This record gives sequence, C-alpha cells and structure tokens, in this order.
Amino acid sequence: MSSESGIIVTRDLEKVYPGNVRAVEGISFEVRPGEIFGFLGPNGAGKSTTIGILTTMLRPTGGEAWVDGLSVGEDPEGIRRRIGLVFQESTADDELTGRENLELSAALYGVSPAETRTRIAELLPQLSLEGAADRMVKTYSGGMRRRLELAAGIIHKPRILFLDEPTLGLDPQGRTGIGEAIRDLRHRFGVTVFITTHYLDEADALCDRIAIIDHGKIQALGTPSELKDRIGGDVLTLVPQDGSRDLTEVLAKVPGVLSVRRHETGYRVKAAKGEALVPTLVQTCFSQGVPLATVALKKPSLDEVFLEFTGRAYREEEGPSATDAALRMNQFRGRRR
Amino acid sequence: MTWREFRALTLREIRHWLRIPTAIISSFMMPFFYLLLFGQAFNLGKFLPSQGGATNPLVLAAFSGAPSYYSYFSVGMVGFVVLFSSLFAGANVIFDRRLGYVKKVAVAPVGRTLILGSRLVASVLRGILLGAVVFLVALAFARIPGLDGLTVTATVTPLGLLEIFLAMVFLSAGFTSVFLAIGFLLEQVDSYFAIINLINLPVLFSSDALAPQSVMPGWLRTISNGNPVTLAVDVMRENLFPSASYYAYGPLVYLGILFAVAVALTALSVALTRQALAPR
Repeated sequence: MSSESGIIVTRDLEKVYPGNVRAVEGISFEVRPGEIFGFLGPNGAGKSTTIGILTTMLRPTGGEAWVDGLSVGEDPEGIRRRIGLVFQESTADDELTGRENLELSAALYGVSPAETRTRIAELLPQLSLEGAADRMVKTYSGGMRRRLELAAGIIHKPRILFLDEPTLGLDPQGRTGIGEAIRDLRHRFGVTVFITTHYLDEADALCDRIAIIDHGKIQALGTPSELKDRIGGDVLTLVPQDGSRDLTEVLAKVPGVLSVRRHETGYRVKAAKGEALVPTLVQTCFSQGVPLATVALKKPSLDEVFLEFTGRAYREEEGPSATDAALRMNQFRGRRR
Repeated sequence: MTWREFRALTLREIRHWLRIPTAIISSFMMPFFYLLLFGQAFNLGKFLPSQGGATNPLVLAAFSGAPSYYSYFSVGMVGFVVLFSSLFAGANVIFDRRLGYVKKVAVAPVGRTLILGSRLVASVLRGILLGAVVFLVALAFARIPGLDGLTVTATVTPLGLLEIFLAMVFLSAGFTSVFLAIGFLLEQVDSYFAIINLINLPVLFSSDALAPQSVMPGWLRTISNGNPVTLAVDVMRENLFPSASYYAYGPLVYLGILFAVAVALTALSVALTRQALAPR
C-alpha cells in the first residue's frame, strides 16, 4: 500500500467542494517520522482541507493519502486510533475541569484508567497546567486552553499529532508558550507533528520542513533554511550621500559579496553573511570618497520566500478567515456564560 | 472498552446539566405553571354538580376513572414534561457543535452509536427525573389547602410502578432520539427551534394529556390514539386510578406499542446520526 518511508504520504490529493470550489488541487508530499512538518499559507489556501482529509473528517475527491500506512479512504477508523488532533477552534469543554477534559479524551481513545492517571500526572507539569487542573476550563486563558488541548491531543500517545492553526487568536506570549510546548512534546515522545499555520515566523521557528501552500497547490517544500537559501543570501541596501560616482565594480570585488546591482538611489548587494560585511562595505565606500547615508541589512525571511514562489507578498489576514470564525466562537462562548 | 467510552460520554452530559441547571429549571417551568395556574383554573369537573362526599360518577366517566379533572390532567403533565425535556436534547447537540465538541468526538475512534446512545441515556434520565418531580409536585398540591392536586385512587403495585417507569422511558427515548438526530443534522439553532415549535404543542394538544378523548371530535381522537404521549399517559392512569373499564386495552398493550415505537425511532435516529457524522 503506502510507499516509501513517509508516515504521511499523499499523492495527487484533491478536494473539490460542491459548487466547484477547488480547495486542494492535486498535492503530493511526504512527512518523515518524527519531524515537525508545517503547512504554511494564507487563509483559504487549502491547509484546513488537507488536514481534514488526513484526519478522516473530509473525503478526498481525487488522489490518495496514507497516514501511518493506512489509507484514508479504506481505514478511517484505524487512522483515528493512531492520531491526535488539536482543532483550529477551541474544543476544550468549558463546564468540565482541565482534569475531567483530559480524562474524557483518554477514555475516548481507549486509554486505561491507570494509564490515564499516569499520563495526566506527566502531562500537566509539562504543559504548566498543574495548578489549574481542577479548575473549570471556563476560567482558563486562551493559552492555557490551547495547552490543555495539546495535552488532550497527545494523551493516548498518538503516532502523529495534527495541529490546525494551534496559535490562532493567541497573544504573542501565548504563541511562544505553545511553540515551546510543541517542541517539547516532540522531543519527549518522538511524535510526528503536522502543523498548519499562517504565521511565517512560527513556521520558521518551529518546523523541520515546510510546505508553502497557496491556491490549493504546494508552491515550495523544504527546510526553512533551504527555502531561504533559494532566495540567494542576505540583501544589503547601500545608499551613498552623493550617488554620482559608480562603485559597482569596487563593491563587487569585496570578498564575500555575491552580486551588486546599482539602482537609482544606491546599491543592492547580495551576500551570504550580510552583517559581517557591513563594516567592510562602509569602510570601502568611505575610502573611495563616497560616504554612505544609510545601510540596511535584510535577512531572507519566509516573507521573501513566499514572494519568490507565489509571486505576491505574504498576507497573514485575508478573506473570510479562520480568525473571524475563532472570534465569532469566542463571542458565542461569552454569550453562553 | 466500549463501556468505558459510553460511561465517559454519558458522564460528560450529566455533568453538563448538573453544572448548568438553568436548562433543567427552564424545562420544568412550563409544566409547573400548567400545574400551578392552568390546571387550577381549568378544572372542568367544577361544571358537574357535586354529590356530597362521593365523587360524581359523571366526573369519573368524563375523566376515565380519575376522581377529578386535576388528577386526570396532572398525570398528563408528567407525560408532557418528559416530551418537553426530550425536545432540548437536540438543541444541546447544536450548541456542542458550535463549541467543537461534536467534531472532537466524531474524530475519536468511538462507535457512532455510542455518540448518540450516551446522549440518549443522559437525556432520558433527565426526562424521568423531571417527570418524577412533576408527579411529586402534583401529589403535594393535594395536601395544600386551596390548591387542587393529584389524588391516587387505585392501589399501586410495584409492577404498576415499573410499568409507569417504563412508559416514561420509552416515551422519552423515542422522542429524544429523533430530536438528537435532528440536532446532528441541523446546524442552525433557529431552524431547530422552529421544528420544536412545530412539534411541541401539536403533540401535546393531540394527546389526551390535557383533555379526555371523550370530548374530542372523531378525527382528533384517531390522532390521539396513535400519539405516544397518549399511550404513555394512559399507562399511568390505568395504574393510578380504577380506569380499566374506560380504556380499550390494558397497560401492557400500550407499553408494548410504546416500546416498538421507541425502538423504531431510535433505529432511525442511529442511521441519521451516522450519516450526519460521516466524512463529507
């Protein structure tokens, strides 16, 4: 059945919703055991649809997918046993305590009562929830809720943990906490993590490999540094005080410079290690009698990677977004209380 | 394994209604006002002349053996509260869907029948509890001066109590399962409540919970005969009052029909729920 060594394998996976809405258009990729694999793309790119298919919530309309060797079409029940899932929206139960939530999840995944106690005792400190375990979840902050959901997602020791936008709607502090928790869980349990996000910095910091997805297609796939390397190094922008003399030739001879382009106001210099080159470049220009007005250094970021591969600037918020849905849900929760 | 999952799911439902008691209280309010206000004023027996100490045989004839309208009607209210509480089971599914709980359970390796079954059991328990409260309140009213109340005039046997209990269980299970399935199928709370309103009062008024069949026109009586609320309430009346001569069949026959209806409706609901939870 499944090919190669991937713990998740898809081949020409496709999902067309009624009304010919093409959410996922023939994507193929492979996730290696034990890695944190990120699906990065703007809202509406097809991330949630892909995760929906892999977690047996949605049926593909074309192509194939295997999760831990099982076909999503043939053995959804088997897949459900082997995966953990943290949804985009909060699914922790407000009217139960944190501990009761974990016990419920454990029971649903067939974890024995004794094992459940051990696991809860283990997970609570790891996710900094010891003090809050016996409080109602409705008193939790957004970050605590998310950490509880992470614990619930992993309580049955799944082979793969799926995280759909785990930091959506959290403040920066909460986001950092979740990122650390995910890395820690992977480290301790060797679980493979499949994560979708529309935050570039998050994908960059967290993932071993990233697939950039846009308009239902994978535009690029690789480690964050591979992807950034494809941009071709750091970019230094030098603006001289007086731009009348052309220093292109001189700058190109400076060791470490990869390329130099002159434009209206100054020079665009590409280099492998930009920051190490700044003093030399400033010095060189000065000694040529052309003091610089400004120097700017830009590290290749996934922003630029995204621009490179999709032909447009990255937008974190766009369209009828999941963020809106999360906000609506929070309002709904508030009203119910 | 299955038992453990079932227990966990059911416990969650019960915890929910214990921790948010407003839902229980609100489903008790309506029958309570019927008992306290409507039934007190609408005491049809008052139109019949009293005969000193003995109950007027006309009253007995009008209310199928019950000693007063209030006694007749309050038993109907027990059936009504069981119906009424089952209506809310589906609304909770819709709220739970919005809160992501339905999805969380749907992606867990749990049998779909258990997902419906756990909610069914929790909701039936709640219905029975509310029915018992209404019954006890009606009995208590009989002891409060100035209030009409329920007077039991037959000797109630343990078997009779069991029959009453089962009648309420079957009534509750049949309706609850259907409303749960509707809850799993619908996404909008508004459309759900539209359906409830379409069902709630017609089912109440076309049963003999409030008024005896003897005063109904023929067509309504025909509908009433097939109404599960009628069947369940009549099982109660046949056990609480010397009513045997007023009903065509004994309580066991009605109980049998109720059982069959409950099984059929539950089977239908399981199929609908499976469909609603299947991957799209």
